[in-house]
Amino acid sequence: MLKMNNISKVYQTEMVQTHALRDFNLNVEEGEFIAVTGPSGSGKTTFLNIAGMLEPFSSGEYLLDGIDVGKLNDNQRADLRNQKIGFIFQGFNLIPDLNLYENVEVPLRYRGIKAAERKRRIEQCLEQVGLASRAKHLPQQLSGGQQQRVAIARALAGEPRFLLADEPTGNLDSLMARQVMELLEQINRDGATIVMVTHDAELARRAPRNIQVVDGQLADFTLYQGKPNVAVGA
Amino acid sequence: MFSHYIDLSWRSFKRTPLVSVLMVMAIAIGIGVTMTSLSVYHMMSMDPIPNKSSQLFAVQLQSMDEGETWFSPDSIPYQLTYKDTDHLLNADLPYKRAALMKTGFSVHLNSDKIKPFLETARVTSRDAFEMFNLTFLHGGVWSLEQEQNAAPVVVISETMSKKLFGTENGVGQTLYLDDLSMRVVGVIQDWQLHVKYYDPNNGAFNDPEQIFIPFSLIKAHEINTWGNTNGWKHEPVKVFNDKLESEKVWLQFWVQLNNESEKQAYSDYITNYIQDQKKLGRFNREQPEFKLRDVNEWIIYRQVVNEDNKIMVALSFMFLAVCLANILGLLLAKFLRRAPEVGVRRALGASKRQVFYQHIVEVGMLGLFGGVLGILVAQLGLLGIRQSYSYYESLANMDISMLMTAPIIAISACILAGIYPAWLVCRTTPSTYLKTQ
Repeated sequence: MLKMNNISKVYQTEMVQTHALRDFNLNVEEGEFIAVTGPSGSGKTTFLNIAGMLEPFSSGEYLLDGIDVGKLNDNQRADLRNQKIGFIFQGFNLIPDLNLYENVEVPLRYRGIKAAERKRRIEQCLEQVGLASRAKHLPQQLSGGQQQRVAIARALAGEPRFLLADEPTGNLDSLMARQVMELLEQINRDGATIVMVTHDAELARRAPRNIQVVDGQLADFTLYQGKPNVAVGA
Repeated sequence: MFSHYIDLSWRSFKRTPLVSVLMVMAIAIGIGVTMTSLSVYHMMSMDPIPNKSSQLFAVQLQSMDEGETWFSPDSIPYQLTYKDTDHLLNADLPYKRAALMKTGFSVHLNSDKIKPFLETARVTSRDAFEMFNLTFLHGGVWSLEQEQNAAPVVVISETMSKKLFGTENGVGQTLYLDDLSMRVVGVIQDWQLHVKYYDPNNGAFNDPEQIFIPFSLIKAHEINTWGNTNGWKHEPVKVFNDKLESEKVWLQFWVQLNNESEKQAYSDYITNYIQDQKKLGRFNREQPEFKLRDVNEWIIYRQVVNEDNKIMVALSFMFLAVCLANILGLLLAKFLRRAPEVGVRRALGASKRQVFYQHIVEVGMLGLFGGVLGILVAQLGLLGIRQSYSYYESLANMDISMLMTAPIIAISACILAGIYPAWLVCRTTPSTYLKTQ
């Protein structure tokens, strides 16, 4: 599903070179749920950004579903991101002017899906996260946990095979964090591959596989505690 | 997606109403000023008789001796002598032609019905009405016999007819031009003309005359010009006939030549005429020189639209550029403030191109609003010009082409100003903002 070979990411300024990732190797199988931990500044988010094609990498090879990402142009990367990847952010990143329905609709519009199909998917996803009745609400009218559930619905609407979550519970209290985590686990059971960056050791332990990023390199210390779920990719 | 982009643009306007209104106002003022000067320029320079402008030719003859110079661009006098005009008018040729002279009279009815008033008039010949597309509402042009015999007949406009006789149909009525009793033989529709191309000597934007009398009356009644008379050598003019026989130039002459072969044939005729005149001691030049300029060439040659007008248009576009520079700054601030949202959209699958188009649609919409409001500002500007300078009354108007042009210029200008901010925001690295929102 996802294969990174010797990926390096160097941030260059006039004075200094910073190696955010160096010789980073990772193989993620379809249906896995991976928790990525590591100290602040270790390169977790850089890894996630590169995995989501939000940032270019400096060297190495990145294959997503067998496609060599390094050889794609911006439009092709955008299309691939739109079709295969769903994002969940710590800060939810909902667009404040759009109501919940419209927020969930954003990735579907960029994919060019027709209105009737968009409606079906949006209603289904909002139903899945328990917010169907709030479709016309604006994000600021919801609690943090509810906003994150909308973000998850948005990520799911495109029926991605690969979910990238960056501290999805970082801004939530423990009850809401647990609810969100349960939702992610359910999504994983439904077939989606999930890579979740987290600082929360308890949440990380709930993931079948843990990897740790230290100084831009990978330490894979929990290998396949259970079999990955059967892929039911969209 | 386009309708979606329009929806997003509208939401963006509503999100920052003050900045949006400021930008629309800046465009509106820039477009208003630009369209005001451009409309006047457009009306000045537009073809005054589009269906015939390439067939009507102003005739110029180089009647000065060798070595003499004139103030025209090619040193050929703008007008003709009476002798030449009379000859060309009566030449046995199949082409329609018109001799013209501006004059004026005290107009009255020799009664106490109306107060006498001074009015300009146009001395001309029969063909002029057809050549210049004048439409008769009542009666018609004077006959050839009346023209040849200096009959006291007159053609007037409908407005003049109403003013003098209280009716549009003044045919058969009598009016007085100074002491001349004239019978009205025809009433024409008012001559609506933005540029008085047939005689731009005393103001190319003055209104056309409303009284027309036969050319033969000049000699018969010693009617003098109210236009320019120019000479290039000393000639004593003691009696009116001296002027008729002199080399002074004071008349205009137009001929209608429908194709290139007619033009060539007429040119040959004039060349021969000049050769004949040389034998009589006139046109003392080695090479005969004359010009036939069609209406549009004539307007350019006579510099109807002068440099000042062009500079004014250029300045107004510079003003628009200043407005756009301000808009560019506001757009930069507005768009970059939205970079986090763009980051989210990029993460959700928007390509740079889609983000760019979204913002270009927004600035285009801004331009549309500014353009429409700019038309209103331009109308105010044109109203101000009309009220301040009656000379520009027929020019200070926006025709349909200018009305259509205003939003096009506004949208194009805004898109031009918006390209850089849109390009900048579409290059946003999404990851920069996703963590920090």
